[in-house]
Amino acid sequence: MRLWLISVHAACAALFLGATAPVLAQSQSPDTWRDDLTPISAKDWNPARAAHLLARAGFGGTPEEIAKLAEMSPIDAVKSLVHFKADSDLKPFDHSGIHDPGLEPFPESRPAATERAERTGESMGVKAKPSGNRPLQPATNRFFYWLRASALETGRVGYWWANRMLVSRAPLQEKVALFWHGHFASNEDKVRDYRKLLNQLDLFQTQGTGNFRDLTVRVAQDPAMLSFLDAGKNVKGAPNENFAREIMELFTMGVGNYTEQDVREAARAFTGWNYVDTKFAVNAAQHDDGQKTFLGETGNFDVVQVIDIIMKQPVTADFIAGKLYRFFVREDLDPKLQAKLGDMLRRNRYEIAPFLEAVFLSKDFYSQASVGVQIKGPVELAISTYKRLGLTEVPGVPDFNAATGALGQRMFSPPTVAGWAQGRSWITPGLLLERGNFARDVLFPDINFIPPDRYNFAGDIRQVSERLREGADITTATSQAEGVVVAESNMAADRDEDFNTRYASYRGWQMAIEKVKAIPRDTARLDLSTLVRANRLSTTTQVVDYFLARFMSVPPGPETRARLVKFLDTDLGTSDTARADTYMEDSLRMLTHLIMSLPEYQLD
Amino acid sequence: MPERRNDQTRNRDHGLTRRRMIGAGLGFAGAPLMFAPSAMAQSRQSVDGRILVILELSGGNDGLNTVVPFADDAYYRLRPQIGIKANRLRKLDDHFGLNAGMVGMEKLFKDGKLAIVHGAGYADPSFSHFTSMAYWHTAAPNSGEQYGWVGRLADQMAPSAPANFLINIGANQSLAVRAHKHVPVVFNNPESFRREAFFEEKDALAALSDPGTVQNPSQRYLLDIARSANEASAMVRKAWSQYRSPIDYGIADLGLRRVAAMISAGLPARLYYTSYANNAFDTHVVQSDLHGRLLTYTSDAVSGFMQDMERLGRAEDVTMMVFSEFGRRVPENTSLGTDHGAANNMFVVGKTVKGGHYGDLPSLTRLDAGGNLNFTTDFRRVYATMAEGWLGQKAAPVLSGTFKPFAMFA
Repeated sequence: MRLWLISVHAACAALFLGATAPVLAQSQSPDTWRDDLTPISAKDWNPARAAHLLARAGFGGTPEEIAKLAEMSPIDAVKSLVHFKADSDLKPFDHSGIHDPGLEPFPESRPAATERAERTGESMGVKAKPSGNRPLQPATNRFFYWLRASALETGRVGYWWANRMLVSRAPLQEKVALFWHGHFASNEDKVRDYRKLLNQLDLFQTQGTGNFRDLTVRVAQDPAMLSFLDAGKNVKGAPNENFAREIMELFTMGVGNYTEQDVREAARAFTGWNYVDTKFAVNAAQHDDGQKTFLGETGNFDVVQVIDIIMKQPVTADFIAGKLYRFFVREDLDPKLQAKLGDMLRRNRYEIAPFLEAVFLSKDFYSQASVGVQIKGPVELAISTYKRLGLTEVPGVPDFNAATGALGQRMFSPPTVAGWAQGRSWITPGLLLERGNFARDVLFPDINFIPPDRYNFAGDIRQVSERLREGADITTATSQAEGVVVAESNMAADRDEDFNTRYASYRGWQMAIEKVKAIPRDTARLDLSTLVRANRLSTTTQVVDYFLARFMSVPPGPETRARLVKFLDTDLGTSDTARADTYMEDSLRMLTHLIMSLPEYQLD
Repeated sequence: MPERRNDQTRNRDHGLTRRRMIGAGLGFAGAPLMFAPSAMAQSRQSVDGRILVILELSGGNDGLNTVVPFADDAYYRLRPQIGIKANRLRKLDDHFGLNAGMVGMEKLFKDGKLAIVHGAGYADPSFSHFTSMAYWHTAAPNSGEQYGWVGRLADQMAPSAPANFLINIGANQSLAVRAHKHVPVVFNNPESFRREAFFEEKDALAALSDPGTVQNPSQRYLLDIARSANEASAMVRKAWSQYRSPIDYGIADLGLRRVAAMISAGLPARLYYTSYANNAFDTHVVQSDLHGRLLTYTSDAVSGFMQDMERLGRAEDVTMMVFSEFGRRVPENTSLGTDHGAANNMFVVGKTVKGGHYGDLPSLTRLDAGGNLNFTTDFRRVYATMAEGWLGQKAAPVLSGTFKPFAMFA
């Protein structure tokens, strides 16, 4: 293992010394590899290619993990990732216990919640007061309790999943689940039930490399998805087309391959498909049993038959194969190659695992066009950063969900049903700086960190809390009067007398943090000095080269490398690491921060 | 040095020179609210200092419940449950009324500063959010155009691509601003638009984008973005930290407060793009309360922004265009909501805008086969109006075709 590390380091040193990059040239693939789906041979297998495989089929790894893959044959390496055995050391999600049956069926909005309490005297298992001020306040509080509690618990699910990504011995299981989460996107903000989202994630984790047709059927029966796309509202008579449209446009065929008439007919097949609590349920009375003509076929179709007709369309295999390829290999996909990939998926009868196996073994996957060209998504960036730092637990500081969210990808919060637009759209000038800041927050934890699962950052909730402490009545405590309030939306908030929404928002948060378990807030346990010692890096140049090789897939230019060495020399006061042994940690962390701030750090 | 050449071109491109702008920035530190307007006063009469702000309402705003044709019986026939009664509307005239929460926009209309364009759309409409939005972003339906129309407009207005000309407020870059030459400044939170670093790291950080060995196009892209980030971040942060406004923008400012801050600080940007993001207007289900709220927030933010421009003395320099990727189906669905539709209304707001109605009214009785409004106004006519009527640019090269502008500016 050590030997390999030294050889990589030597390779980089040679590269950076500008000697026409002999080692890089050696590991460069011939131009003919591009678009070539035949497998690479064992003689072409090397640590750089193993690192590329692990970056794409997982979340990257430490030099030790890469070396282990490099020692296998390419076919064994790929198979070990694709045909994984579930990692039995992974613990199931630890529920806080925030849900109780009285909450079901949860109302679709605050007005619906209070209306129900007013009409029936009870809502979400809480009764209206028989008399007195704000009779509907307890029900309103209860509504906000669940909104907040489910959102907070979803944050814990995000942490649980992130830890699996980091430590699982089957990283493709999590990577493919991440792909499906972006493909069959659902959002907590709309679903508002962490249990449904957890079940959906379980589906992606357990069926993610299985059969695409079966997965699509399961998703069409998945309560999180049914809720997200309003399918439960889709009834005989005037069907809601949302689900039918998205299933064709985004999930299976792509736009332009069906008519508006097909959308309407499929929507009829979807009528009556619903859920009760966390279980799929068909409401037969609302299902349209008539003849439908869909993509040229006529019959009394239900959703499964509609999906089977979709799977018969050649475009479906092309579409999904192309999408998998763009996620795992590269954005730039020639239509001819896409047709070949589609054909491959069709021949595998929509089985994902053999498809991915062929892709990961192909010369194309290791060609110049595919290596080091993917801009990592925020979750991949965070997890691969932790992996390369050698962490075995996702740090509590910075908050994983807040940090990836600030970078544009919070789990269970895709921006739209189309999921996350990947590739270049991950990066803006603002977000590029934010990525460097994320690395700094890991390497130098913020001493002013405030846990977002306890503290509410919304100013109005804190203001209400402060005024209540002072003994204010609810109207005064929740009044917005401060400065000149003229905007219509700000004046409307105080008008109701049956209940007070701002108070409920405050009280709901308070009830939620009582129930939802806290996320542990350990900072990253880092020891970069040990890396220097263990790898016998005696000069600052060797340190910079080792760090660049360990952290980067695409090395920066020679001028940057020289600057980094100069920085380290200056900050340590010497180029001799033995001399700096007792105090080098801070400088090494700054060096790592500088490396992680490089534009090239975003690439894998 | 290319940098210097850019700087000189910049002087020709804008009424305001770079030097004067820096001067304004410095003057600012002392008297933030007073200096900006006077520094800008001289650009007011020419088109050179004019700014276009574009507000996108994503998700497909239900235009028929926004500008309600209460005098048309067909509206209530097709929307028996969610049609808004005439007495609950903010009446503009004897035919139309605004959704009840739109107090600020009602005032703008009555003050003659709000233009409503009817029936905006395009032939063979797409009912997909993503496809239709891409058509609106590129102004090129069914073409696969890869640059946005605002980006192309920037390329034409300032071919030397000076820094900070095109600003997109948002978590992600919109296709609308993707330019061939310009690298748009995209940020969401101005406070975090900065590199957090130790003093000791400064020298090394300054050299982090070394274009010496570019291996692939993704790397090239990242290096360009890194340069733009360095050029813009300090300026944006300073503008935001110096911005104070007594104006109430309501509950969701839709990025317009950030736009106001940039304008107030005298940034050289001429084009701003912001949005009510994340498909907010996709009201398939029980839409009335939700839609009313969305429109209230929008109206509050738009009118707050216009008041802010008045306060800054920039009201005559700024025009805003508001659009959504499509309207909604005319008949309501059985879930008390509406599905994806076609033609829709658009808004243009500004002190120099001649308020009123533009475009032929689409018929509510002669709908297409899917129950949608047939468009009466190609949406690119409104884009042409912004390019020619407001910014003094030839629209045809930007829009790859000739679209007749409306005579909308005084």
